[in-house]
Amino acid sequence: MNLKFDRMASIVFLALGILVVVESQKISTSAYGSQIGPSTFPIGLGIILIILSIFLFIETIKHKATYKIVGEEEDIKSPNYKRFFIIFIAALGYVLLLEKLGYLITTFAFLVIGFQTLEKGKWVPTIIIAATFSAFIYYGFVNVLGGSLPGLPFL
Amino acid sequence: METIQYLMNGFAIAFQWHNILFALVGVIIGTAVGVLPGIGPMSGVALLIPVTATLTSGLPVEMAATSSIILLAGVYYGAMYGGSTTSILLNTPGESSSVVTTLDGYQMARQGRAGAALSIAAIGSFVAGIVSLIGLVLLARPLSKIAINFGPAEYFSLMLLGLAAVSGLAGKSITKALIMTVLGLLLGSIGIDAVSGIARFTYDQPVLFSGIEFLTVAVGLFALGEVFKTIFEKDGSDEPIAKITRILPTKQDLKDSAAPIGRGSLLGFFLGVLPGAGATLASFFAYITEKKISKNPESFGKGNIAGVASPESANNAASGGAMIPLLTLGIPGSGTTAILMGAFVMYNIQPGPLLFEEHPQVAWGLIASMFLGNLMLLILNMPLVRVFAKIIQTPKKYLLPIIIAISIFGVYAVQYTTFDLLVLLACGVLGYYFAKNDFPVAPLVLALVLGPMIENNMRRALTISNGEFSIFVEKPLSLVFLVVAFLWICIPLVLKLRGKNVIINEEG
Repeated sequence: MNLKFDRMASIVFLALGILVVVESQKISTSAYGSQIGPSTFPIGLGIILIILSIFLFIETIKHKATYKIVGEEEDIKSPNYKRFFIIFIAALGYVLLLEKLGYLITTFAFLVIGFQTLEKGKWVPTIIIAATFSAFIYYGFVNVLGGSLPGLPFL
Repeated sequence: METIQYLMNGFAIAFQWHNILFALVGVIIGTAVGVLPGIGPMSGVALLIPVTATLTSGLPVEMAATSSIILLAGVYYGAMYGGSTTSILLNTPGESSSVVTTLDGYQMARQGRAGAALSIAAIGSFVAGIVSLIGLVLLARPLSKIAINFGPAEYFSLMLLGLAAVSGLAGKSITKALIMTVLGLLLGSIGIDAVSGIARFTYDQPVLFSGIEFLTVAVGLFALGEVFKTIFEKDGSDEPIAKITRILPTKQDLKDSAAPIGRGSLLGFFLGVLPGAGATLASFFAYITEKKISKNPESFGKGNIAGVASPESANNAASGGAMIPLLTLGIPGSGTTAILMGAFVMYNIQPGPLLFEEHPQVAWGLIASMFLGNLMLLILNMPLVRVFAKIIQTPKKYLLPIIIAISIFGVYAVQYTTFDLLVLLACGVLGYYFAKNDFPVAPLVLALVLGPMIENNMRRALTISNGEFSIFVEKPLSLVFLVVAFLWICIPLVLKLRGKNVIINEEG
């Protein structure tokens, strides 16, 4: 458990609750004259969220002692963070380029980056597995099952 | 007798060659999902929805739905079989419902009795699967006959009970679980309101009109969240995998485990029927019960076969029991059944009391195929246990990026938008941070599925009562549901305040 995270989360959820209640007022009311409109449910939820986030904030104060105050916080520069960032950025690029470059190229590139980030070297199995996986999913899904995926950009 | 007639028709559907194939593929993938530590039954089922949707695209809607659900349910109970394999051989549970199996299972493996432990787990799972199916067959029609008289007020309260049950048992802090539930309900309200046709929280973005897709959120929170967690963790030390020498259990083993299997099956079934309890809790209770009634409780934790037989039967029975509220009431009691429900809805088939009237072939075909699937699992698991044990050795460096790629493929193949893929990645990161800080994610997914239904029923009930909220406490059944929901949240709170340990359910 992380005191800082919980406290921040309670503030974020409180803000979210208030935002929901405020934004729900803007939902246009329905035509027929029932007082239970499309905004009733979200407003109720927003109020519950506000109450719960206050509870959570109180809990973080009351149970301060039970939270472990240890320097377990992972260092931003630790190798695990670096691995995560590389893979996450690669996945983001994969997702954004999927429709432009097609499924085969982006999947192959993402897998090669992923495999090499987790363990450097062994290029031959890396390339074989990445290529087999991309080709297998693409041809299996498109040709055998009759689904549809973005193909190669120059065809 | 009518029930038997329906069941026979169900078998006629389950024995169609393509449905046999679907059940077989489902249980094999399910076993693999159970064995692999990275994917649980929940993300396994979610990832296969797009594949089954494409596989069945040539069939008429009802047949397509039957075949898809047969495969997806196979993944669900197949995972319960597979989960025991890693617990016994590696001392690392493949999914949370097999955590207690490690206590005695791994000890048995160290004593060279791995084969016996694995086969008892498979036999126990089979017996339990059959017991829970018989329960399902007997209870399905009576329960749906009761449920058919429910009005919107009863439904609203019953669904609230489902959410309360999942939240009350979901994590270390009930406040956090409730926050996640409310968050899920709010996410569910994004998009065009089904009653009035008015857009809510869409800010004129066309992609938001149809709402946030539950499949995207579920895969992100569960599958990607788990992958990110493994990337952050330092590489675990590789424990040696225990050797499997003899597969068949001895006569003494069978004699010692017969009674625990029976008790585990019954206990698991009843816990599975309760919304929110689920397989993890069932296996814990079964283990504790066995230890309590045993003549020599000190032998538990040292390789007592009852400590494997009972929890493994219980988790399988619970997964069968969990189908009852889903099929008869239309209310999923756990994360995985919530995803199965999403699959039903995708085919425009509403689970619930009318399912057995309007789509008997879907309902009974599924039930009959579960008999078949359990038999397949028993036959497959005995000789193939060595093959499945090999899956554990898949290096993580290949496994993790491939799970990410499959998640992206799965979501894209159903949604075809880059927006959903971005939501998927965001949910993955959120899922990791939420889980790390004890914010349970299962209530969020369940709330996302139930949200629109809860709101519709609430509004219908309030329209009937002219806006009087008292309708929810005036109807006796509705009042009962609300009181039980209230108690479900409060009793664990009170127990916690008195310093008791409360068992929580970490399964999806």
